[in-house]
Parts: sequence; structure tokens; C-alpha cells
Amino acid sequence: MSELEFVDLSVKLGQRTLLDHVSLRLAPGEFVALIGPNGAGKTTLLKAALALRTPSSGSVRLANAEVSALDAKARAALIAWLPQHIRAEEPVTSLESVAAARYRFRESHADSRRAAARALDRVGASQYAERRVTELSGGERQRVAFACLIAQEADILLFDEPANHLDPAQQLDIYRLLGELWREGRSILCINHDVNLLHQVGDAARLRVVGLRAGKLVFDAAFDAPALPEQIGTLFGVEMESVQGSEQRFLMPRSRSKS
Amino acid sequence: MKLRSALVILGCVLLLLAAVVVGPQLEGPQGQFIIWQLRVPRVLVGMWVGATLALVGAVFQALFQNPLATSDTVGTTAGATVGALFALALDSSRTVQGLPLVTVCAFVGALAGSLLVASFASSRTAHSSDVLLAGIAVTLATSALASGIQYISDSRALFAATQWSLGQLPQVGYRGVLLLTPLCAVSCALLLLLTRSLQAFALGEDLAHSQGVNVPRLRLLALALGSLGVASCVAWCGPIAFVGLVVPHLVRRLLGASYRVLLPMSLCVGAALLVTCDAFARLIVPGRELPVGIVTAALGAPTLVFLVARGRR
Repeated sequence: MSELEFVDLSVKLGQRTLLDHVSLRLAPGEFVALIGPNGAGKTTLLKAALALRTPSSGSVRLANAEVSALDAKARAALIAWLPQHIRAEEPVTSLESVAAARYRFRESHADSRRAAARALDRVGASQYAERRVTELSGGERQRVAFACLIAQEADILLFDEPANHLDPAQQLDIYRLLGELWREGRSILCINHDVNLLHQVGDAARLRVVGLRAGKLVFDAAFDAPALPEQIGTLFGVEMESVQGSEQRFLMPRSRSKS
Repeated sequence: MKLRSALVILGCVLLLLAAVVVGPQLEGPQGQFIIWQLRVPRVLVGMWVGATLALVGAVFQALFQNPLATSDTVGTTAGATVGALFALALDSSRTVQGLPLVTVCAFVGALAGSLLVASFASSRTAHSSDVLLAGIAVTLATSALASGIQYISDSRALFAATQWSLGQLPQVGYRGVLLLTPLCAVSCALLLLLTRSLQAFALGEDLAHSQGVNVPRLRLLALALGSLGVASCVAWCGPIAFVGLVVPHLVRRLLGASYRVLLPMSLCVGAALLVTCDAFARLIVPGRELPVGIVTAALGAPTLVFLVARGRR
């Protein structure tokens, strides 16, 4: 199993600092939820892990190598990504899109299609395998993107707000699927705005929540830590209320913090 | 879908065969000569040019994730134009190693134009949209240069330049076919080998990168191979509009679904379309031949509008 480690990582875009000396380690089989206000640098962190952003200082290590030094296919075997948006302007079918995600494998197209069909089945998208991605709804498209990620069969999975713009039922499905993949032994780093959804993942005691603001790591806590509501409140600049539900603790923003 | 593809291929083959026959009635040994020494090589040139322009158009649209991208967008055609104008301003009758100076200069110009853009594309941090902008910048700069050359040339050179810029299948005989074939064949065959990585591009460049595609290398390869093929075509025929733009969209609407279909079918349809347009050009004005570039533009523009309008419904 491989691990992902950000070592004192800084990323600059022109004069702006997007990430400011961030150190974070994702051990094999770990689940880390990454939260923070808009523009905190969450997506930049994921992109740095994929060598899509170049560090201005520090480094990103993947399986004991510098990520930018890895061969593209070797990197794709280690780490896969579900972006916030996928482009769907080319009228290719869902099945062909997912088959294309098998790029790193040396296999026949028929084998790619079989693996793609299995991945689509897993995310409950078999019924639109032959439909074009341009004709899918947002939720359907997200499932196809999820199937791409599964078909790539990488050890470490990065998610960028996987349930964004989805209805509640779809949100629950996506997070339950995340939990399944995690229990199969994969490591997961997931950007997420609504910590309450993390309950769907299961095994709450093993979840880690990391807060990022203005490019800096603010806290790194267990999901069931008593101090978490307050830490999240400070992170977003709101008063958080913790409500005990029948099975779980819900966190809700009550009002903006008085500064 | 397989049946549909087969039908389209059959249609293409029939069009190609028909194009040899279409034209004024030909009989006797003279007719035989016209068919075998003039029309057949011309159809062969038309096939390679149409196939290459259409395939490169489809590849560039995939590569730049932009439905408007063609070989014109990355400086190839603009470079060829400057080269051709330069040669025409010097002296259009000169030859280099038995080849017309215009052809040689257009080829060199096309490669130079695309090389400028490609050098930019190979940078690790450049995004496809940046490459597209670089292509447009090179095109604008070269057209300024072209205007400059036109300004200082005499009226005979100007007329020749206008003729060249209309785009026309030349009467080159089998020697032209022999020169064009290896370049276009290498360009098309190797571009088709990139299908798998281009397919990963369909959902976005960054996602393709994360799936293991070496994006800068793919971009450089596709640009170099595409430019090589297009440069050879433009050198002989001048800029032939719309084939590279319309054919991929036509195929996408008809067969869609996958680059494994889109790329090879663009090749077939492009070949058939250009040869058919050239046959039309022989027929429209009796006794005179219209430049095929006018026909492709006249047919291509409304076709594109029709396709877009239908697609929106």
C-alpha cells in the first residue's frame, strides 16, 4: 500500500500564496476529510497531489517518490481523482468514458469495456451506460465520474466535493459508496462542506477531519473529538450548534461569529 | 452502430468511384488519357487531402477540447500562406529539385508556423487554451506579414496569390500522389494510434492527466503529426476551408459515441467529401473549373449551421 505525504508544501500563483507550508500525511487505509471556507486551498492541495500544481517550496511524496517525478501511468496506478466538475461536451457514451479511464492498463478495448461495465454497475449507473454523457443530469454525470475513478483501480482516492449539487438521496448514496471503497482498503482524502454527511461513511471513530484556511492547516482532529464543533465554527467564522440526533451528532451553523 | 458505420463507408466508396466518372463525356484514347492520367491521380490527391484535413480537424478538436479548432487554428495554414506568398512574390515559375517553389515554400512556412505553436505547447504548465491562444497569435502575426508581402508584390503575383488562397486540387499527376502519400499516410496512421489517449481527453485535460496520460507529450505528438500532414496538403492545394471543421462534426452527429469511431470515420468521410466537392466544381460552371475551396466553403458553412441548429433542438 502506498501513502501520500505533503511535506511543508507551499504553492504560489503569481504573488498569491495558495498553500502556505502545509504538512499532511495520509497513511495507507486512512480516511481524511478536508474542510475549509471557499478559497482556502483545498482543491489546490488535491491538484498538487496529482502533480497538476507545482510546489514553490516543500514537496509532495507519493509512495516514497516525488509525485512530479513519477511516470504518468505509474502515478495513475497509485492515485485517482474525482474532480469537482467534469467536462461533458463531447457526445461519448458513459461506457466509453469509463473505459477511457482504464488508460493506464495495457489491455484490449473489450477488456476495458468489461471493467467499465462493472464499475458503472457498482455505482448504479448501468441503465445509462449507452447514453451520451452530454445528455445526463448532474447526478448521473457524477456517478459516471465516480465509475471512472473506480475503473482506474488506484490505491489512493481524492474526492473534490463529491456530493456537490446533488439531492439528499444521491448525497447519501455517494458517501455510502465512499465508505465501501474505504473499507476495501483504499486511502481517501475527501474535500467536503457538510461534515454531517461523513456519518454515511461509517466507522466514525476512525475518520480524521482536517481544517484548512487561507492556505494554512488550522486543525487536524478525530471526527468524534468533543472539540470538533468549536474548531469547525472557528474555521468558518460561525457559531456551530451541536444537535444530538437519534443515532448521531449533527453540526449546524447558527449564526455568524461576532468578531 | 456497426451497421451505420458500414453504410457510411459504403457511401464514401461509391462517391469516390462516381467522382472519377463525373464530368464531360469522354471517349476514345483521349478520354482514356484524361481519366487515367488526370482524373484518377487528382481523385487520389483529393482523397489524401480530404482525409488528412478531416482527421487532423477531429484530433485538434479533441486535443484542444474546442469544437472550433482545426489545423487553421494552430498556425499551420497561416504559415503556409506566408510561405506561398513569399514564393509567388519572388517568381512563381521557379522550381526547387523539380518541385514548384510555391509548394516548397508553403510546406516550410506551414511547418514553421506550427513549430512556433508547438514549442509553446510542450511546456509543462501550458493549458490547452493557452496553446490555442498562441495559435491565434501566430495566425494574426503571419497574416500581417502576408499583407506586407502582398503590399509590395506586383499585380501578377497578387492574382496568383488570390488563386492560391482559394484552395484547389492541382493537376499534379502521379508524381504528386507519390510525394503526398507517404507524408499523409505517416501522419494519419500515427495520429490514429493516439486514439486511446485522446479518448481520455473527452472528459477534460486535467482528468486525463490524472488517469495517466502524459499531456505535454500527447499535445506535442499530435501537433507535430497533424502539422506534417496538413503542411503537405496545403503546400499542394492551398488552404481548403471547412473540411477539417465540418467533417468531424458531421461524423459526430451521425455516429458519435467514441473517438474509436470518430477518428477513422472522419478520415473516410473527409476523403469522400473533398473528392465529391471537386467533382461538383467540375460540373457547376461548364467548361471552367471552380476552385474546390469555394465549393467546400459554400457547402460546408450551411451544413455546419444546419447541424448545430438540429443538435440544439
